[in-house]
Amino acid sequence: MTEFRALDHWNGNNDEENEVDVEQEAKAEMTTQQQSYEWIIVKDSEYVDIHSTDTQAAISLQLGIQAAIAAVISVTIGDSDQGKNVADDIKQFMSMRQRNTQKTIIENSKGIHVTTHDTDLAVNIQAMLQILVSIVAKVDIF
Amino acid sequence: MSELPKSPKVISNKVIDLLVSDVLQKNGVNLEDVKKKLSDDQKELLRAVVEDLTAQVDEFVKKSPKKK
Repeated sequence: MTEFRALDHWNGNNDEENEVDVEQEAKAEMTTQQQSYEWIIVKDSEYVDIHSTDTQAAISLQLGIQAAIAAVISVTIGDSDQGKNVADDIKQFMSMRQRNTQKTIIENSKGIHVTTHDTDLAVNIQAMLQILVSIVAKVDIF
Repeated sequence: MSELPKSPKVISNKVIDLLVSDVLQKNGVNLEDVKKKLSDDQKELLRAVVEDLTAQVDEFVKKSPKKK
């Protein structure tokens, strides 16, 4: 089988440029979401379509849930030392699993679709919501 | 407890409940006092917030690609 080499024939699409774009995107994600590192490397390839987890949406959701937990604690227990201690303790087990590294390398490929998904992020969000629901249930809100 | 919003369960609810109970107990929170302190308006508001977030999380998880 002969190896496919994208650069053997030139059809006007700049492969080098593609690579730079993807790298920039990965870097941008790293700055917004410190605990999730995603690398996508595209090499010797063309017509590559990449979809990644919507990190931005995930972060907003995380912040939303965190704010809701803080609000519930503040309203129920109050803005006292007791409330602060409860919030600190809950934060501690919310951040148990915070690191994720993911590398995707695409080499010698043509016309492919790649979808990556940060499972840790989704699991984290679901767990945070479970914590919120649990607190809320305990104080008879539901 | 029977009207909990349905959410995808990654970690058992019992484990989460245990952790939350432990934190509240450790910090000397009296749940009966807390229940009395909450007004109906506050309950209503918090319920709406939780329902909204649950819907958003469900949407986010649904949008994610299925595991192969």
